[in-house]
Amino acid sequence: MTATDPTTDPGMVDELLVDSAYRLFAGVCSFEAVQKAEADGWAPAIWDAVAEAGFAWIGVPDTAGGSGGTLADACAVLLAAGTHAAPIPLAETGILGGWLLAGAGLTVPDGPVSVVPGATGDSLSATLNGDGSVALAGIAARVPWARRADRIAALVGTADGPRVVSIPGGSGAVRPGTNLAGEPRDDVDLTGVTVPADSVGVPAADATADNLRLRGALSRVMLMAGALEAMSRLTVEYTEQRQQFGRPVARFQAVQQHLVWGAQDAAITKMAAQVAARDASRDFAGATFQIASARTIAEGCASTATRWAHQAHGAMGMTQEYALHHLSRRLWSWRQEWAAPNEWATRVGRMAESAGADNLFPLITG
Amino acid sequence: MAMRFTPTEMTPAERALQAEVREFLAAEMPTGDNTPGNDRALGMGAGKNKEFSKKLAERGWVGMAMPKRYGGHDRNAVDRFIVVEELLRAGAPVGYHWVSDRQTASVILKFGTDDQKERFIPPICRGELGFSIGMSEPDSGSDLASVSTRATRAEGGWLLNGTKIWTSGAHENDWFVVLCRTSPMEDGNKHQGLSQLLVDLNSEGLEKNGIPFLDGSPGFNEVVFNDVFVPDENVVGELGMGWAQNTTEMAYERGGPDRWLSAYGVVEELMRHHAGTSLEDRAAEVLGWATARFFGLHNMSFTVARMIDTGQAPSIEAALVKEMGTRFEQDVLLRLLEFVEEEPDPGSMLLYQRLLAKAILTGPSFTIRGGTVEVLRSVASKGLRA
Repeated sequence: MTATDPTTDPGMVDELLVDSAYRLFAGVCSFEAVQKAEADGWAPAIWDAVAEAGFAWIGVPDTAGGSGGTLADACAVLLAAGTHAAPIPLAETGILGGWLLAGAGLTVPDGPVSVVPGATGDSLSATLNGDGSVALAGIAARVPWARRADRIAALVGTADGPRVVSIPGGSGAVRPGTNLAGEPRDDVDLTGVTVPADSVGVPAADATADNLRLRGALSRVMLMAGALEAMSRLTVEYTEQRQQFGRPVARFQAVQQHLVWGAQDAAITKMAAQVAARDASRDFAGATFQIASARTIAEGCASTATRWAHQAHGAMGMTQEYALHHLSRRLWSWRQEWAAPNEWATRVGRMAESAGADNLFPLITG
Repeated sequence: MAMRFTPTEMTPAERALQAEVREFLAAEMPTGDNTPGNDRALGMGAGKNKEFSKKLAERGWVGMAMPKRYGGHDRNAVDRFIVVEELLRAGAPVGYHWVSDRQTASVILKFGTDDQKERFIPPICRGELGFSIGMSEPDSGSDLASVSTRATRAEGGWLLNGTKIWTSGAHENDWFVVLCRTSPMEDGNKHQGLSQLLVDLNSEGLEKNGIPFLDGSPGFNEVVFNDVFVPDENVVGELGMGWAQNTTEMAYERGGPDRWLSAYGVVEELMRHHAGTSLEDRAAEVLGWATARFFGLHNMSFTVARMIDTGQAPSIEAALVKEMGTRFEQDVLLRLLEFVEEEPDPGSMLLYQRLLAKAILTGPSFTIRGGTVEVLRSVASKGLRA
């Protein structure tokens, strides 16, 4: 699928595209398929269906091999993916890795792409050679689906300034790791790997390390918003069916508290996520506050909402055979990805501080 | 049912209104005044200032959504949201017209007779008529349908007997809308036979007894009716339909900015106090957490207003916002204590300290007034499974 060209407002989401994304994820991300993806470390059927529809490359210009569409469209598709716990490197292929590659004039492959997130433990360094190739050393930490990626995009610093390198899949030594949901988060020792000159590019002007981090954060905000919404719905449904003391447990006030708080966590996260995506799609540089705020909200809500959802589900939620953990384990993982402890709240706080008392409210209300 | 919170944003005209209100408030209420006695208000618990209410009315910012023919301005819920959000943010003294503007004018417009609309709405829009809320009773709080204040038939009207309690501002306001029983309960159906009456707070036989708030400040009252005569023309809407009218009265207004801005002034003054010094990381983290939440709640509350204007009846969404917004107001105060070192003192020489002390002392009211969080959870959870 190719997204319709953005009309006049890049903050508007292509609703038809999003509807078809929801339908597609609902169709392919069955409980069994998500479960199997974890056991196998890869979900070829899900990836193929999503790639076939072009959803992995929304927000990457079609001239660069992407599907076109806006960042807002890509974010809306990520939200849909989060709703269905889609176990594929969707953000990495599109708005993170694909964005880096396309901006640097490098080929965007038609297979999965990953990106080096610069997580704690990362020691990747780069040296630009005279022939334009880049020699890598050190470990790229916590690279999503590194073992399966056609290309791993990395933004590296060299003596000649920043470069985007498109690292061929299979380079270096992969030490497999996973996040709490069993999604691959591999450490890749790239010492001794040289990326040839035709896979090295100068990053686009806006492809700074900070913007990559903001995009990474935004991607997790969208995924968390989707998962929180699905988790709230699942919990309401379950507590309506589950009977104790002769009535559905949802009728008990103590349980209603969990349902309402979970719905609030989902609603405020989705609201903040959609505002951040809209504003970032229009003017990324002007949306730092919205992204950092949405990330702060999502992180807190992921923590509290998983608690309420599990409590309301009782023992059923602790079992592998029931779908809650597809959402809760992802939320427990995503809340820490593209983030150091308190990073995003502190960043919002520093923005508030530099706005000052008189301009705090204008900052909040946009 | 999924919650229907779709992001919205301000039109150029709405932005212009926001700028206009900000400009007005910057001139009326300059910040940085640290004189005790001049403290900015904390949200809707603001004091009454008839002059200020009139001034706002002259700008067209009271009764905004009322029709022009009743002295209103034919604006909408979003416009009112914008004005009210700025007023609360600035800690403006909105107390005198607050209830009239938020709910009474709408109830009269929706259910009242033409005569009532002409008598009450224009003075409300001029900022000259302060209303209180006559709902709670000594034995009826969250279970409002159990009110026992009763009106009995009299020549040309009704005789009211009973007691209302926790009536904020009854000692300073002019009128209130009293929920009472106009016919005996039948077959245990307590929602039938209730009516809303417009009652002059200076009526003969009406007794007001102040109940000091826990910090000694005035505000609460007990109002006792001893054969208070209420003429027929002061019955709002249909006799016996008071319950339905009463539940509509607050359904949408619950999602307003008064439900998440009560502690905002403390945050802003704290920043003003710290201006020029760099915040420690811990303080920046708390400030960032609160700012992010203010951003989220602003957008939710704004969306509720937009939904009202587009006829989407957001009663569940509004209940959800109020429940979370008022808990947030209390959480903000707790989290500020993670880095505020001074012991709170209501008589401190520092404005932010006085505000913090006041917020802590009035904090328990946030999650109770206008419907307890427990009741709101029940309302919201019904909406979730509907």
